[in-house]
Amino acid sequence: MQKNLTLIFFLALFSCIAFFPIAWMFGGSLYEGGSISFVYYHDIFLTKKYADIISRSLILASVAAIFAVLMGVPAGFFLAKTNFFLKNFYKLCFFIPLIIPPYTIGIAWTNILGKAGFLNQFLSHYLFLPPQSVSAFIYSIYGASFILSMNLFPLIMIMTEYALKNVPSSLEESGLISGSFFQVMKGITLPLISPVIFSGMMIAFVFSLSEFGVPSLLQLNVLTTQIFTQFSAFYNEKAATALAFPLIMITIIIFASEQCKMRGKSFEILGKSGSQAFMEYHFTWLRVSGLVFCTVLFLIVIILPFCSLLISIDTFKVYRDAFALAKNGIVNSVVFGGIGASILTVVGFFLGYATEKTRWRLKEGISTFVWIFFAVPATVAGIGLIKLWNRPHGAFQFIYGTFGIILIGYIIRFVPLSSRIMANFFRQIPQSMEEAGAVTGASWFRITGNILAPLQKNGIIATWIISFIFCIGELGTTLLVYPPGHETLPIALFTVMANSPENIVSALTLLLIGMTLLPVGIFFLISKYAFAKKITP
Amino acid sequence: MKSLQVKQLVKTFDKKEIVKGISFEIEKGQLLTLLGPSGCGKTTTLRMIAGIEIPDRGEILIDEKLASSDKKIYISQKERHIGMVFQDLALWPHMTVYENIEFGLKSNGIRRDERRKKIEEVLQCINMQKYARAYPQTLSGGQKQLVAIARSIVTRPRLLLMDEPLSNIDVKLRQDIRQEIKRIQQETNITTLYVTHDQEDAFFLSNRIAVINEGKIEQIGSPEEIYFSPESLFVAQFVGESNCIDVKITGKDRLLTPWGGYVHPTNKLTTGTAKIFFRPHQVKIDPDGRCEGKIVKRDFMGEWFRYHVSSSGVEIVLYDENNYDVGKYVKFSINKMVTI
Repeated sequence: MQKNLTLIFFLALFSCIAFFPIAWMFGGSLYEGGSISFVYYHDIFLTKKYADIISRSLILASVAAIFAVLMGVPAGFFLAKTNFFLKNFYKLCFFIPLIIPPYTIGIAWTNILGKAGFLNQFLSHYLFLPPQSVSAFIYSIYGASFILSMNLFPLIMIMTEYALKNVPSSLEESGLISGSFFQVMKGITLPLISPVIFSGMMIAFVFSLSEFGVPSLLQLNVLTTQIFTQFSAFYNEKAATALAFPLIMITIIIFASEQCKMRGKSFEILGKSGSQAFMEYHFTWLRVSGLVFCTVLFLIVIILPFCSLLISIDTFKVYRDAFALAKNGIVNSVVFGGIGASILTVVGFFLGYATEKTRWRLKEGISTFVWIFFAVPATVAGIGLIKLWNRPHGAFQFIYGTFGIILIGYIIRFVPLSSRIMANFFRQIPQSMEEAGAVTGASWFRITGNILAPLQKNGIIATWIISFIFCIGELGTTLLVYPPGHETLPIALFTVMANSPENIVSALTLLLIGMTLLPVGIFFLISKYAFAKKITP
Repeated sequence: MKSLQVKQLVKTFDKKEIVKGISFEIEKGQLLTLLGPSGCGKTTTLRMIAGIEIPDRGEILIDEKLASSDKKIYISQKERHIGMVFQDLALWPHMTVYENIEFGLKSNGIRRDERRKKIEEVLQCINMQKYARAYPQTLSGGQKQLVAIARSIVTRPRLLLMDEPLSNIDVKLRQDIRQEIKRIQQETNITTLYVTHDQEDAFFLSNRIAVINEGKIEQIGSPEEIYFSPESLFVAQFVGESNCIDVKITGKDRLLTPWGGYVHPTNKLTTGTAKIFFRPHQVKIDPDGRCEGKIVKRDFMGEWFRYHVSSSGVEIVLYDENNYDVGKYVKFSINKMVTI
């Protein structure tokens, strides 16, 4: 009884916080002039302007997904299947683009390929390319796809590496008896891992489709930026909502099909290593290819962007100025991120338990219901929050006028992720651990406090860190709902981009990247030296 | 006094009936084993008694008090005061041996000084006092087994449930731990329900054995009864190696076997067919035996040989210490058999 009441409370809490704003928003968009109306939806599906916007969004997402596969699959293959110099170093570094907010990569690449960018100057000088055409590329749909693919390729890399490590060596060995390396790869290995690659591609597609920061930075007219424009420039929230409809439908269909096909395993495999004996190849040509490919990738996704940011800052004073400019935002980011991550961890703990450890008949449905909110674009969540909480006469001012509204935004956007991570960690705790506590007569709270929580310690810390990273990088929802005086670092960065020198923007970007990487580094050290000693469940 | 009574217990999972009306009782201080193959419903029965699963039908009485009737729970899992040893032992890796054992006492509100006394007693009982501060992952397989048992008995439960606790350890260690379990059970006199698919565990430990097949109890009896007088073909074949031969009943206590007529109890039947059952060691190679056959296969088993003998159109298995060549004709006699 204790258990069910607690879990139902957290489920109801999340449903109220996440479902009502979105439902309220869509309900409102169907109501015009005192009756039910589809006028805004009619415009979207039958007007060429909007059809172009939708097709641009689809092109952006498709090209980003393809680029991400082209980078991620070979990287995952080389990391899993061969051994070469600096392999582990590259593997660690390739996680960085996944952790940092994508628009920070965008800022770096606009520095590199913008009109005054050093690579633009190099290409125009030596390859005789007009500087405008190079900068036009980075400010195009394809440039945005390229930036997003750099953010998302590590996801596909990890999934490919894991899938390859789970192909039993015997399958490849039996193929190698009668066939060549390439025949085995083409005929056995790739077909076996292709569902995982496809699933990774779909996830990259959905993330790119709902991304707001990069298209906004590059001033591209796609669905997410158009939703923002309709809402903030034209004050037309109903049109904004209607524009969100195709976006949400596409992402829901893709996530639902992923859920059906992979049963959510695409995310389960993140952070795990292969468990079976797998085949590793030691051909010299393969090792050299791996080294060359990963080195080139390292230069493109790590060295070039970071150098461009560092080079544009000529003096230490720039950091001081940037810090002074965004001091409030930095403090807010840390405070809101810390509180948000803590809430996300607690809610994620109980929802993760409900979807993984209970015997509820509807737990699969609950899992899908929670997960669908991860597909809700940031700007849509922001509009929903404003619609629900911005009441006449300031009725909900204690929420809407405080950082509480930002925290609610974090809950809508990231509880699906935190609960999924927790569920995956819960899966590794045998049911008998809890049952052994129950037969002693302990209450569920005691079992949770003394058995489940300590066993889930690594999961709790990982969830907190990942939630913190997502919270401090959040832009789309916070941009719409933050009350005056409560801006976060991404908001400060977004603001100064328009009216500050490039070196200040670069310094703030580096500060944001540093704030993102710092907790990951601390977690890495703690998990390496502290937890490894004691807990080996 | 009966510590446990199970009456017509039924449990269904996904529309499949796993437990189909199981009934048995255990007297205080006794050890009863539920013996059966994987998937026969023995663990599900155990989990219903522990209160982890809710039965669909049937009654469970603990110390002659109704714990559950059909789907109604009268004594909650917490109040049943049961100890349980899990198949994977379920020792909490973040707690020391001492803390693992202490958890149940704390849950029952026992005072600290009393807790310490009880834990010291139980650690002494399993001879592991010096491992009190060790973490489970630093212990050997056998030590982990003992800690799991200690944790389950420290609260002096009314009933101890053991779910195949020896299934994951090697043969030698299994023998040692088996003896320890028997000693601890006899010293503490805790009524125990033991679940296993291993007949050696069952014969060594049990006062009584209930053989389960496909959710039903095939036979309950002492280990000797189960071994020598099986009441069904399943029990005969599941427990130990056996010979089962089709025979005709030609009259009251008269059987026609492949080796001719026998006078033997026919369970009050006077006509029809039946099976006779006998163990390999109940057959002796005997120059004066009335049966004759040809050795078709020989297996060396260390101190003895297992022979497959083809005789009068049937093949039987027998054990003998002497080495005979394959192809040799031997005479044998059946010392004891049972009609099923």
